[in-house]
Amino acid sequence: MKKKIFILFAVAFASVMSSCNDYLDVNTDPNNPTSADPYLILPVAQNYTARWMHSDRRVSHLGNMLMYNWSESAGFSWYNDEFLYQVNTNFYGGIFNDAYLRALKQYALLDSYDPEVYGAYVAIGKIMKSYTFQILTDFYGDIPYFDALQRSNNPSPKYDAASEIYDDLIIQLTEAIAMIDAAEANATSIFPEGDDMIFGGDMLMWKQFANTIKVRILNRVASAKGDAYVNTELAAIAAEGSGFITSNVVITPDGGYLNEEDKQNPFWEDFGANVAGSPTLSGQATCASDFMIQLLQDNADSRIDYLFEQPATGHLGVPQGITADPAVYAPSLVSNIGPALLQGPEQGSIIFTLAEHNFNMAELALNGFGGDPQTFYEAGVTAAFNTLGAPIGSYLNQPFANYVAASDKLEVIITQKWLAVQGLTAEQSWFDHTRTGYPSDLPISQEAPNLVRPVRLLYPASETSGNSANIPAQANPFTDKQFWAN
Amino acid sequence: MKRILLLCFMGVFALFSVANAQERTVSGKVTSGADGSAIPGVNVMIKGTSTGTTTDIDGNFKLSVQDGAVLQFSSIGMKKKDVPVGSRSVMDITLEEDIAELSEVVVTAYGVERAANEITYQTEKVGAEEIMQGQQQIAAVGLAGKVAGLQINVQNNGVNPQAQILLRGFRSISANNEAMIVIDGAVATIGAFNNLNPNDIQSIDILKGANAGALYGSRAANGAVIVTTKQGKIGQRFIAGVNSSLTFEEVSFLPDFQTEHGIGWDGHYDPIENTNWGPRFDGQMRRVGPDFPDGYPVADQYIPYAPIKDNLRDFFNTGSTLQNNVYLSGGDETSTFFLSVGNTNTKGIVPDDEYSRRTVRVNASKKIGKVKLDLSSQYFEDESSVVGGSIGDQDRPLYWFILNTPANIPLSEYKDWQNPIGYGYADNYYNAYYQNPYWAIGTNRNNDWTNRLIANVNASYKITDKINFAVRTGINRRTGWGKNWRDAQTYNPDLQPSHADVSSFLTDSEFQDVEFNSNAILSLGTYEFGGDFSINGFLGAAVISSQYRASSITAVNLSIPGFYDISNGTGQLTAAVDQSQKRVYGFFGDVTVGFRKWAYLNLAGRQDYTSTLPLDNNSYFYPSTSLSVILSDAFPVITENPVLSFAKITVSNSTVYNDLGIYDLNERLTQPRFFPLGNTNGFEQSLVTVDPNIQKERLNTWELGLNTGLFNERFKLDVSVFNTITTDLITETTPSFASGSSTFLTNIGKLSSKGLEASFGGNVLKIGDFRWDLNANFTTYETVVKEIKDDLKEVALDDFGGYGTYAIVGMAFPQIKAQSYVRDPQGRVVINPANGNPEIGEVLPQGKTTPDYIIGLTSGFSFKGLSLSATMDYRTGHIYYSQGHDQMEFTGRSMESVSSDRKDFVFPNSSIRQSDGTFVANTNIPISGGRMGFWQNTFNEIKENYVRDATAFKIRELALNYSLPTSVLESTRVLSKVTVGIVARNLWVSLANQTNFSDPEFRNTGGANNDNGVGIGGYLQSPPTRSLGFNLNIEF
Repeated sequence: MKKKIFILFAVAFASVMSSCNDYLDVNTDPNNPTSADPYLILPVAQNYTARWMHSDRRVSHLGNMLMYNWSESAGFSWYNDEFLYQVNTNFYGGIFNDAYLRALKQYALLDSYDPEVYGAYVAIGKIMKSYTFQILTDFYGDIPYFDALQRSNNPSPKYDAASEIYDDLIIQLTEAIAMIDAAEANATSIFPEGDDMIFGGDMLMWKQFANTIKVRILNRVASAKGDAYVNTELAAIAAEGSGFITSNVVITPDGGYLNEEDKQNPFWEDFGANVAGSPTLSGQATCASDFMIQLLQDNADSRIDYLFEQPATGHLGVPQGITADPAVYAPSLVSNIGPALLQGPEQGSIIFTLAEHNFNMAELALNGFGGDPQTFYEAGVTAAFNTLGAPIGSYLNQPFANYVAASDKLEVIITQKWLAVQGLTAEQSWFDHTRTGYPSDLPISQEAPNLVRPVRLLYPASETSGNSANIPAQANPFTDKQFWAN
Repeated sequence: MKRILLLCFMGVFALFSVANAQERTVSGKVTSGADGSAIPGVNVMIKGTSTGTTTDIDGNFKLSVQDGAVLQFSSIGMKKKDVPVGSRSVMDITLEEDIAELSEVVVTAYGVERAANEITYQTEKVGAEEIMQGQQQIAAVGLAGKVAGLQINVQNNGVNPQAQILLRGFRSISANNEAMIVIDGAVATIGAFNNLNPNDIQSIDILKGANAGALYGSRAANGAVIVTTKQGKIGQRFIAGVNSSLTFEEVSFLPDFQTEHGIGWDGHYDPIENTNWGPRFDGQMRRVGPDFPDGYPVADQYIPYAPIKDNLRDFFNTGSTLQNNVYLSGGDETSTFFLSVGNTNTKGIVPDDEYSRRTVRVNASKKIGKVKLDLSSQYFEDESSVVGGSIGDQDRPLYWFILNTPANIPLSEYKDWQNPIGYGYADNYYNAYYQNPYWAIGTNRNNDWTNRLIANVNASYKITDKINFAVRTGINRRTGWGKNWRDAQTYNPDLQPSHADVSSFLTDSEFQDVEFNSNAILSLGTYEFGGDFSINGFLGAAVISSQYRASSITAVNLSIPGFYDISNGTGQLTAAVDQSQKRVYGFFGDVTVGFRKWAYLNLAGRQDYTSTLPLDNNSYFYPSTSLSVILSDAFPVITENPVLSFAKITVSNSTVYNDLGIYDLNERLTQPRFFPLGNTNGFEQSLVTVDPNIQKERLNTWELGLNTGLFNERFKLDVSVFNTITTDLITETTPSFASGSSTFLTNIGKLSSKGLEASFGGNVLKIGDFRWDLNANFTTYETVVKEIKDDLKEVALDDFGGYGTYAIVGMAFPQIKAQSYVRDPQGRVVINPANGNPEIGEVLPQGKTTPDYIIGLTSGFSFKGLSLSATMDYRTGHIYYSQGHDQMEFTGRSMESVSSDRKDFVFPNSSIRQSDGTFVANTNIPISGGRMGFWQNTFNEIKENYVRDATAFKIRELALNYSLPTSVLESTRVLSKVTVGIVARNLWVSLANQTNFSDPEFRNTGGANNDNGVGIGGYLQSPPTRSLGFNLNIEF
């Protein structure tokens, strides 16, 4: 008996030992893959770009608040930090964090695919990275760039100077265009189709978009970098020959955004209505500012009914930062965000307007880089009305909008650009305001302690703890302008 | 190492091949001096040799002896006896119980029982009566305050409370710090421990250090809680018993709130607010709620503008818990059994919250010749129906709606939420922003059902008198389902213009979690050699395999109200499945060398293989070395005084490793919740990135202990110190988000955890039938972060933006950081001269969340059948973040918000920064917005304002029992025990002198990062409670 037991034990022992490695080979996650083709990576990245631009307390929203476009309905304490200009390390940290953690991370992943096969994907990744990084550095100044997005290979990337980032953005966009050309010349290349939510795989449009982003960049740094640089780069764009965008750049999923949980257009999801059609609280809380309503009414601007919902009692805007909470500003009585911006859960997300491109070209022309500023200006205003579906009528003849009559041409360009991008890419108007001071009569929130509008954001608290060795000293958010605005 | 162990044992065998000389046989019977019953299993040894036998089930033994031999009779729990054989051939022996030793049998690894003297590390035992003193629903709560070094944090007090079990504090930043649970010799889980019927527990042995790790593996790195359930005894008469208790639970305190100002906004009266920024109370009748239009069937509601005492407390019910347990036990000559059935029904303090649990236990053993079979098994099931957790259009918990009730609102008068002409009805409710909590209870439900089978079977075979082979195999299987739903609510926009409609949903979920564990132990017995030495040991192997699977499906916008099936949803269903498994096996050995029965050296080691590390580098060895010396036996001279009667020291060192989490080794892509979107599917890189060189985490612990008996063993004093150094901590660090990940899993730094614990107990007073027993314990520990990584100075455990819990180099762990005031060199608060408001400073460390020390005290008085016992504890030196205060500042109910009569005031002890960098005192610039804005914005932004002292003194349990005397019982001829009692829990809680919100022990959630971020005190739970009840125990 004793022997039998021992033999039994020995056999059991041996059988366990012999099958050990098989026995332990169970560490593969059955729920999540370890790799995927780029057609599964790109749409996620683009969807994140749409969310980054248009979700609550992200890029465009901040522009709308700081540029006094939007305000708050009575009964809500929604925008305390915005009205106090409480620019600290928690203020709109999602802009910094989500850029890197969501969209940029995905675009960077596209770099890991074989360019011989997936060159088009890699190029799209580069273009979208440049698009995103420019906006990011315009908010924060110096940011992690050259060493960023390397995940476990560099958990604490160094910060790079904004002006050096700007230089590299142009280089990256040029490279992306070259990669697209190379991919098109290569018979084995695989191109995106419906998985490209922006251009559906139309690579000419990607090249045009790359050139358009270059113009945004060059226009912004024109005074900082000097004429020679801008002229050289504009000549290179002309030589490349693809031209520029001819319509708004819109993110639309193949098959569209849907009226389903998590599948709605991100702006609609936050400011429109839930799946059942009930208005969201953010939508109820957000309305036109008094200044914006007044301005649109003063200039017989038909866009007022497209940008803002008209209550039965007529349009009404609310001053920013009033401490009393009078019932006259109840959500049902004020002009909430309007029908052209909130068309429905299926609408696409505009991430770059044709109007803005024309205004960028107009400003470059005004500054002597070629072209007729008035033509570009009027194309810009027209595109802005078209985007909303508003009839332009004789708007361009209004003294307020007439280019010829305007005493300060730059002011009229920047002011119309501000009106054109509101609700869409409103952050651009904040950057312009920091740079040019236009529109010059823009009010300040009544609660602002120092009567000064902020000019930049502070690095978020996550960087203080996660990248303490590299994070630069925080700048003064009210006085330290970006390098292109000095 | 394995080979070395084997050689060792072979050598031992060789030593003891005994030569037989002239022999004859003696036989006899060993009986108990107390009741004359036979004692099985007594060791009968020929003194000075290693020859011997043990008594059988009837206490009989038979042994070949030489003339002149002396037989030594020993049995755990009995006094040893040496008897010369002389010329006898039959020897009947009586052994006396050794009271001191009886209580000192320690259950160690794999159910091996050992005499306390042989234990080379620190343990503490808690008996059934102590555990059940407070008639607690879960045993862990019943341990609070009773064991030195053990910290029980009750984190939530709903109908099914949760407790965290920490032994000697924290050793790891990201890994689990909770103690390992062993139930009847099989490795189990905290969940299984919480599901045990506490009435079934015989005793709990707490192994405080990591020593058990060498035998049990990683899980024991945090110490072990070894639970032994009740068994029948061989030869025990049949016992049937009933234990019942009925306790009532009520709110013990609500947040400290102001009662000077009521409903309103920015100083003016507003009848539909959730906030208290109205004018000072004046007692006038005023309208609250909507201004109903003409013809509407409800008249406007008018109530006095005056505070209502306890308006929030009145919302809560008196809860009740009825526990009934029936148990049977007994044994004959070869078998024992213990059966129990338990049933608990709880009604919570939140109306309609209900919980019930049922348990069935079957324990049995049977001896068949040399084979012994043991079964330990329990089936558990529970059912709960509680209010849902994502209520209203903002997905808030219930307590939020209660707290957002102004001071002048008679909350308990809004019960009638279904009546369209009542003020509790959705359209008619006074509050324009947060719904009626009674409505919430009726329209949001979480229903859960779970069950667990925890069972193990042990078969042991006595190969020789000494060598025993045992195989144990166990299962710990939990399954369950849940059905959570929320009803839709629409509003009349004229009456409730600010309410967004509430959408409906139904989530149906199921899970199964199963763990199999098996082990085989070959015990080699005890051998004496060289006259003074003894050696014993065992070898073993163990396998653990766990599998988890959960799935859930959610439907939204239900078509038919009140019908909760996924078929009722409109739009796409969302579904998720999660599945994981892990396997570990290991081999271990343990050898103890004794010297003259007063010194023992123990060497133990385990080689583990785990599935979570790379296949080519998946094993590790952990050794443990420990020594105990019974000083009072080694140097009897030290006991030659009236004070010291026993002294033992232990010293030990052990190393344990923690492995990686399941699947953590490889980065994976996940499907974002937005996908599939239209015609495209998508995957993204995880937010967690993993160091390509990640490896196991190492814990090394030194422990030094002293156990003493004083005044002839009347008192016991145990003191131990420990030091654990954890290196290569597997930690979820916070990288720069610019790296493209928010969590970087890597090995970092060094954590040092040091502490001291002491317990003192015994019989203080004994006069006639009166007895006073006392057990006091003291625990102190501190975990300090020694290093993190070159360029990383802190790791966030739980970052809420503006405050959170952190591991910070050079500081005690965990540490709270919060947005602070800006202070000048004199410590004055720097203000902005433009508006008089304090400047908002950086997020700075505020203090640690673990106490400087904990004192626990259990005191018992008894007189004849009457006994009174109490357990209390005191914790101090730590802080917590009062998230409830923070969240409620907005509503204007904080005491602080009325501290200056809602007027602008000069911020006390403040200063102004001059252009030259110096500061001058601010004497005249008042803050702005004292009516409201200052509190909601500036004050609320400075999160330092919500850091609170976590000091607490609690009388956790108080029990008064009366047992009928034996004489009365005997006259009944049926009853053998009748005890009736009164029990109170959390009878009295005393907190630091400050504005308190809740119990500092409570905590919102396991952190975003991990469970170690204690110190964020919550508002999500219902308020703290106290209980009072009765219990009755009858045995037949």
